[in-house]
Amino acid sequence: MRPLDEKETTAVFEKLFKFTGNNLKNIVENPSHEGPDPNPGRYCFRLQKNKVYYVSESLVKRATNISREKLVSLGTCIGKFTHGGSFHLTIQCLSLLAGNAKHKVWLKPTSEMSFLYGNHVLKGGLGRITESIAPGDGVVVFSMSDVPLGFGIAAKSTQDCRKLDPNGIVVLHQADIGEYLRMEDEL
Amino acid sequence: MGKSKAKEKKQQIILPPELPPEISEDEIEVSDEDLEFVDENRDYAGFVSRLDTESITKQVTRVEGVNEDTLEELYEKRRRRTLQRKENEKGVVKVDPVDALPVKTLDGELYYRTFLQGPKEAENDEKDDDVGSADKSIIKLTKAERRAKLKKIKKEAKKQGKELAKPEEVQQTKQEAVLAEVKEDLTAEDAFESKKHKLAEIGMALLADPEANIKSLKEMLQICKDGDPSIVKLGLLSLLAVFKDIIPGYRIRLPTEKELEMKVSKEVKKMRYYESTLLSAYKVYLQRLIALEKQSIFHHVAVRCICTLLDAIPHFNFRENLLDAVVRNIGSSDDVIRRLCCTTIKSLFVNEGKHGGEATVEAVRLIADQVKVHNCDLHPDSVEVFMSLSFDEDLGKSEAAEEDNKVKNKKNKKRKDTKESRQLQESDRKKRKKELMTKMKEEVAADYKAVAFTSDATEQRRMQSETLSAVFETYFRILRHTMQLTVASSEENTSTTPEASRAHPLLAPCLNGLGKFSHLIDLDYIGDLMKYLKKLASGGSNDNSSQNLKILTVSERLRCCIVAFKVMRINLDALNVDLQEFFVQLYNLILEYRPGRDEGEVLAEALKIMLCDDRQHDMQKAAAFVKRLATFSLSFGSAESMAALVTVRHLLQKNVKCRNLLENDAGGGSVSGSIAKYQPYATDPNLSGALASVLWEVNLLSRHYHPTVSTIASSISTMNTAQNQVFLSTTPQQAFMKLSLEQEAFNPTSDMRKSNSKRKRGNVSSTSSSIEPISIDGNEVNKKLREHFILLHDIKENERLRTELDRTKQSLQSYEEYKKQKSGKPRRTKADQVRKAKNKK
Repeated sequence: MRPLDEKETTAVFEKLFKFTGNNLKNIVENPSHEGPDPNPGRYCFRLQKNKVYYVSESLVKRATNISREKLVSLGTCIGKFTHGGSFHLTIQCLSLLAGNAKHKVWLKPTSEMSFLYGNHVLKGGLGRITESIAPGDGVVVFSMSDVPLGFGIAAKSTQDCRKLDPNGIVVLHQADIGEYLRMEDEL
Repeated sequence: MGKSKAKEKKQQIILPPELPPEISEDEIEVSDEDLEFVDENRDYAGFVSRLDTESITKQVTRVEGVNEDTLEELYEKRRRRTLQRKENEKGVVKVDPVDALPVKTLDGELYYRTFLQGPKEAENDEKDDDVGSADKSIIKLTKAERRAKLKKIKKEAKKQGKELAKPEEVQQTKQEAVLAEVKEDLTAEDAFESKKHKLAEIGMALLADPEANIKSLKEMLQICKDGDPSIVKLGLLSLLAVFKDIIPGYRIRLPTEKELEMKVSKEVKKMRYYESTLLSAYKVYLQRLIALEKQSIFHHVAVRCICTLLDAIPHFNFRENLLDAVVRNIGSSDDVIRRLCCTTIKSLFVNEGKHGGEATVEAVRLIADQVKVHNCDLHPDSVEVFMSLSFDEDLGKSEAAEEDNKVKNKKNKKRKDTKESRQLQESDRKKRKKELMTKMKEEVAADYKAVAFTSDATEQRRMQSETLSAVFETYFRILRHTMQLTVASSEENTSTTPEASRAHPLLAPCLNGLGKFSHLIDLDYIGDLMKYLKKLASGGSNDNSSQNLKILTVSERLRCCIVAFKVMRINLDALNVDLQEFFVQLYNLILEYRPGRDEGEVLAEALKIMLCDDRQHDMQKAAAFVKRLATFSLSFGSAESMAALVTVRHLLQKNVKCRNLLENDAGGGSVSGSIAKYQPYATDPNLSGALASVLWEVNLLSRHYHPTVSTIASSISTMNTAQNQVFLSTTPQQAFMKLSLEQEAFNPTSDMRKSNSKRKRGNVSSTSSSIEPISIDGNEVNKKLREHFILLHDIKENERLRTELDRTKQSLQSYEEYKKQKSGKPRRTKADQVRKAKNKK
């Protein structure tokens, strides 16, 4: 377990920024009420075996007691670095993103399952969408009852979505909560 | 002068040194006419009698210089003759305003005495000629010749029995001359009076028979050039009345050269003459108006005339000039003029049938230019007028439908063709005839279309879309301008609120207009529009960290939000777009709202459109709004809090999970989300963590001094327990309007709702008991107290007056009794009584 170096920090923050915009500040400055300390601590990012974790400070302190090889996991895993060095968000970070998401898409109940099987979000399944989404922005996908289902990358802007035919792809799938079942071993 | 020009023209035309022999024949004819003329105006006959026709003809053929002069003179005369004759034919005679009675000839024809103008000019001409002839001194008639000529003239006169009236007329002209001299001596006042009368008479005559008296328009125009401003004003106004009445319901097109050459009937000639005179007079009048409009003395009158003309006859020629003048004054700082222009333009927009919509397009384009030129620094009224525009609802959609129709038509045609081909062989001749007929019909239809004002649908649509594009161009220009302004001023850090509100006067009407026409905005523009609106709604403080910089007022920013929602609602109904940013703005604007300063109606509308009409909301967002509105309603007047509470009720009804707020359990339980604690100062409703809070405000509000507010508050607080509550669906706007109207009449009852506090539910927080009694707005209390004391004062005053009245009545009665007892002079008493009554009054 070690703090992220500069390059890694940029990679992680850039990725998070795509989804949260200026709310990234909230993620970083979020007070943690863990541990015996009455004053709320902070959360920080830690790297452990390619995986990036979002951990409270008190937990980090306690985790130092365990050697690097023996440490399986701590805090919330938010993503991992590939061999190529790029950073991917994983589904575990969904709660973090959903609370601070800038761009959201709500799915109709009929198309929820399709998304949870790993498919892209199509125009026809779109229940609602935030305005001013640009192609390439990170989008968090919700069900109509505001349950976060996953996230992805916008393929079309909000304006273009209107003209799109029902089978056009609006959001490219990146992760969904179905992965907890489908890829149980990997996570 | 037109005359001299005409002369020159004639000179040029008849310059050839060697004149053809025909001219001499002409000449003879002319001399006859001369005789007639001389007979008519005996005053000037002397000169003619001095002329020697022979020598003149000699001059014509021989001497060049003289030749030209005399020839020209002759032509001049002939022309005048023909003109006069024409006038006589048409009955277009100048009426002498001093003596308007006509003379009846033996034939029974009515002759109006011609006014001096013609003869005067003739006199001038003749004088010139006299000088010319004297200079040249070529011929002098012998006495005998002269006498002979006179005789001849007399004979001619006898022959023409019709012309009997003429001698009298000569006398008349003499009188005229004298009168004119006298008139000059008259005081200015008399002159004014007489001019007034003259105007009135001419005007009446024109209105009575415009075709006959069309020439007197020129006279009226002359009066308008008077030195006295009041006369000019009167002249302008009377001309206005005349023109308004006599201008025909169609646009006059002057005949082309080719048409002029064609032979036409008398009627048509007459009509043409009438129209051209009218048109030229109208043109001169307009030029005069537009010239006078720039002078401050005549500004009001001229603008009034222009406006009335545009309103009454928008179809007529020179409409462009009128429009131009009106639009120029639409942003005038003068209230009267501006209102006049605005109403004119509005009526132009509303009554499109009068001009077929063309004027609308022009007016809108002119206003757009005006806004552009003035860099959006105009009075709001100038853009406000767009609100009275109306467009077809299916402006955008119908094009596609039309294409479908075309296709269908084609199919139909094909079918018809096949049918016809069968019949074709039957009769070729019939077919040719038919073709001819159709051709004729087409021609007629085309002509009719050119003349008629009812343009076809496609034309209408084209014009409407043009208008629309101009309108939106203006709106976008205003938005862009306002944005640049806000950005600039926020950079300078110098702006203050009052200054700012003055800096963009056009924004409010622009936003209103956008709201009204939002369904017509093209999709391609929506992106830009939303961008602008977002920037404006954030008040330009989005980029800068300085939060206290508010360039736009709260109302304006609220309006931006409303417009954005309207635009989105109507255009993107297929796709449900969540306007997150605008919600954030509204969330913050609620805090900045001040009852006195900002418009409550706008806030209520925003609440309705953004929160009540929207189908779904985030749970977090809805909770945040519920919480904030409840807090808001604690601190403002009953109208505002009512609007807010109605919204709260609506939100709670729609979002079942948000009813956790009503539970007595701070922390929100499972639904509280990532933010564990309520943060009242958060700018983003999603991050406020409102679900973790308790809606204790409702309990306070249920003890509100206003019964309606307290009722709704208590109904909200029981929402969770009572299962099947039926609520009347009132919008925040209605609630606001109702209470703000009621506010004036409402007096809080003295017993402060004891029963309400007893209605407290067990499940609603127990904290309420520990909290001090209801917080009431200071202004509210002041107002109520003031009303109360005024009422008390009134009652006292009333009592005092009543006692006084009683006392007076008693004294009156006793006085009456006393009089009865006396009973000596009953009449007197009555009079006294009356006087007394008067005194009492």
